[in-house]
Amino acid sequence: MTPPIPRDIPLPLPAPEGFLEILLIVSFLIHILFVHLMVGGSLFSLVCQIRGLKSPDYEKLAYRIMQTVTVNKSLAVVMGVAPLLVINTLYAPQFYASSALIGDMWMAVIPLVTVAFLLAYAHKFWWNHFINIPELHIGIAALETGLFLFIPLIFMTNVNLMLFPEYWPQVKGFFSAMLLPNVLQRYLHFISATILFSSLFFVWWSGRKSFQNEVGFSRLRVISVRRFFYAFAFGATVFQILTGLVVFASLPPQGMSWGFTLLLMLGGLLVLPAMWWMWQNLTHPGHLLDDRLKEITACFVCAAIIMGIARHDYRENALADHKSAIAEKTANYQAAVKDAREQAQLTAKTQESQTLVPGESAFNLNCAACHHPTLTTVGPALQEIKEIYANNPAGITAWTKAPGKKRPDTMKMPGFSQLSDDELTAISQYLLSH
Amino acid sequence: MDFPIFHIDFIGNRMLIAVDAILHVIINHALAVGALPIIVLLELIGIRSKDLRWDNLAYRLLKIIFIITTTVGALTGVGIWFSASLINPAAIGSLIRVFFWGWFTEWIVFVTEVSLIMAYFLSWQSASKSPEAKLKHLRLGIFLAAFSWITMAIIVAILGFMMDPGNWMTKRTLLSGLFNPMYFPQLGLRTTLAMVMGSMTMICLTYLFTRHDLAFRAMVLRTISTWSSAWLAGLIIASIWYYQVIPQHMLANIPVAFATQEYASWNGRLKLILIVGLLYVSRVLWLSVKHPGQVHGAKYLVSVLLLFAMLGQFERVREFIRKPFIIGQYMYANGIRVEDYPLLQRDGILQHATYASIREITADNQVSAGREVFEQACTRCHTVNGVNSIRGQLKNMYGEKPWQSEAIAAYVENMHGARYFMPPFPGNKAELDALSVYLSSLQKRAAAFNGAQTNGIPKPDKISASTFYGTLPNLANTHGDLQ
Ligand code: HEC
Ligand code: HEC
Repeated sequence: MTPPIPRDIPLPLPAPEGFLEILLIVSFLIHILFVHLMVGGSLFSLVCQIRGLKSPDYEKLAYRIMQTVTVNKSLAVVMGVAPLLVINTLYAPQFYASSALIGDMWMAVIPLVTVAFLLAYAHKFWWNHFINIPELHIGIAALETGLFLFIPLIFMTNVNLMLFPEYWPQVKGFFSAMLLPNVLQRYLHFISATILFSSLFFVWWSGRKSFQNEVGFSRLRVISVRRFFYAFAFGATVFQILTGLVVFASLPPQGMSWGFTLLLMLGGLLVLPAMWWMWQNLTHPGHLLDDRLKEITACFVCAAIIMGIARHDYRENALADHKSAIAEKTANYQAAVKDAREQAQLTAKTQESQTLVPGESAFNLNCAACHHPTLTTVGPALQEIKEIYANNPAGITAWTKAPGKKRPDTMKMPGFSQLSDDELTAISQYLLSH
Repeated sequence: MDFPIFHIDFIGNRMLIAVDAILHVIINHALAVGALPIIVLLELIGIRSKDLRWDNLAYRLLKIIFIITTTVGALTGVGIWFSASLINPAAIGSLIRVFFWGWFTEWIVFVTEVSLIMAYFLSWQSASKSPEAKLKHLRLGIFLAAFSWITMAIIVAILGFMMDPGNWMTKRTLLSGLFNPMYFPQLGLRTTLAMVMGSMTMICLTYLFTRHDLAFRAMVLRTISTWSSAWLAGLIIASIWYYQVIPQHMLANIPVAFATQEYASWNGRLKLILIVGLLYVSRVLWLSVKHPGQVHGAKYLVSVLLLFAMLGQFERVREFIRKPFIIGQYMYANGIRVEDYPLLQRDGILQHATYASIREITADNQVSAGREVFEQACTRCHTVNGVNSIRGQLKNMYGEKPWQSEAIAAYVENMHGARYFMPPFPGNKAELDALSVYLSSLQKRAAAFNGAQTNGIPKPDKISASTFYGTLPNLANTHGDLQ
């Protein structure tokens, strides 16, 4: 398949490209971190709330988790603005094209996120109102979580589509773009990262000294809550590796390179010691969950940074040819524009030297849109006007300054008080003599 | 031209942006910029008087502000980006290239603002523990109010630029764009209007929240009304200033005849609403300062609505003055640069539109070619059947008479002369005829008009898949200097 080659915005980039790329990677990672905490928090709050039906302490936990969600969600949004800005700058021809191709759903992101946020507030602020109607409360939480899970799929579809211009002609709307061969794998990979990072965050969060006081469990022990999150983190890591392999195997070859593969392997290798330590802590009774928590986190953070770089590397590889074709086309187009402009200036000059009939250009500028020589268009044809005002240019001038309303089936003609008498006389004479 | 064309026929593209943007501006002015100072004021009075009712009221008001600004407020802000990049990517893409650092700064301020409002709201209760904590908390509020004003001040610069590029056309630098002639009057008007709107909105909410404590209600209403009156005086001065700057300035910019007339009607309407609105609001505030308990809540509500209407009108005039450009003197509202016109009018717009499916117009494909020309040249502002529909416009002009394509062609060829808010027709003669045939076919029958989000884009042909231009040689190599 041949990709369409559009032109770029013909203005220079606001900063060196490499700098913008670094900005993109860094701001994107920060954004995604908060997205993980937001989506994962919402998901865990829902799970705990359901468990809370049987053991009330979990409901208290769900409430505390929800408090983190309402903070993280705001940060997720504001942190998303910077990568959006940079993507708009660096990848204008690709990003705007893919956004338009899934335009309905892309625009729907705004109301969907708004609704999800409002649901999250309803979920949290009215907690005590809902205490006796758990179906409703859990329903709200489920809806909110569902939205939080769906919205990343829209983003995923768009950033995937922008990578592959050769697929654009076959895409008809959001769902066909979503079903392109590698989107859903990437989405699953993303979701497992969400669970991984949010549960790791909650392991730390529930290990703070003040946690016991804040949450006020009556029976549940904090340690078992922490093990609950810890087990999720471990499971998610396994899942993360598996889905990662599937994603790698199914990535279109356009963006593959040795550098990219090595980066992925490096990122993957970093996860192994973390997994080993986590496994030890989970299975050995003597180990504490906080053992090596710093190292484990550091491993994951480094892996995430490397993956972020690899992701960008793949994008650059995939789009390299397209980008250079675009640059060439843009330059050609600019040259053609310049050519045409010079040519037009030349013809304008030669025309200027021919004598113009007085009033002609003013007539064309002001009146021709509505008055055709022979046809009744918006206003009456010139033929008709000539009959009415034969030998009476002053009548035309007077009318034009302050038109009345005569013909029942036309609109009212607007007045031209801003034209001078001389101009109007010239127009009228021109009008009558042609 | 260079992007697949997104189009929503029923509400129209301009309307989509307008709804989102107006909602955003109202929330920003009435609930952030104008309201946060009130919250701080109430908290301060609460601390001074040691009367807990002030503090509780401030907290309840802030909760509403918090909920709305961090959901609808923040997302309609992002929504302006989303909708603009769908509807006019060429314009937003160009603006971003020029204003990147302006927007980047805006983003930093925005992050600060959101962090501050979370800190301010979420730590409210825990701050009541000690007087020192309370004072610190108050300071947070002051910062927050300041940052939300700065956010607005930056955006006003960018908006001002779109209206009038000042000397940017020659200098093309960020600062020359930022300090354009409209900046300070606009900032003054917006600041004062926001303060009045915000305090009026808070008055309404206070009225609602203090149903059971009328003595307290009178006290609070008098305080906020006094504050509001002071800003109202500022608003009157700022409006006069704005008016002094805007008319000459824009009249000089508008090249063509109808300007005065069309503008006059807008201008007149804005002036009327401004004067009536200001008089009414002044009166309500006056009464409210004198006899705070006795003004009925409905009067406050009407005042708020009048202020919203003022803001709405003001935004419309602002938009209106900009036409037919989307970036003054540089790019028309159809997303085509002024510079590109000679080329497109010579070769035809379809020759250069990357995602067009028809390139050559023949006797058989006139209607479908005309549809494509319409898509490229007119759909950023018109729909077929929805808001500002072309069918409605044509019906207005020709009624039940047959819509003759020659007549339409004569109109479209010169429409920028008669209707200066529309850009000149960007294509060549054959395309003009095809467009007119298509438009005249709409009298009987209009097939649903969908954008690229439904129809997708055509398979790339020779023009779309190659890097050079029609029969032109590869000019990239022959011309050294391409600026
Ligand atoms: C926006 C469209 C429009 C433009 C532009 C326009 N006219 Fe008209 N004109 C009309 C219409 C509509 C009528 C019929 C009005 C009626 O009969 O009520 C009309 C009628 C007239 C008449 C006939 C009056 C009569 O007594 O029957 C004259 C003369 C005329 N126009 C002159 C001009 C001149 C000169 C200009 C340019 C300076 C101009 N028009 C520009 C729409 C226009
Ligand atoms: C900048 C946005 C813009 C673009 C681009 C644009 N129009 Fe318009 N057009 C308008 C507006 C605004 C009106 C007036 C709407 C109103 O007040 O009812 C209008 C009115 C019209 C009318 C009715 C004119 C009258 O005198 O009442 C016609 C016909 C029309 N447009 C055709 C077109 C065609 C054909 C194109 C594409 C070649 C086009 N327009 C492009 C904004 C635009």
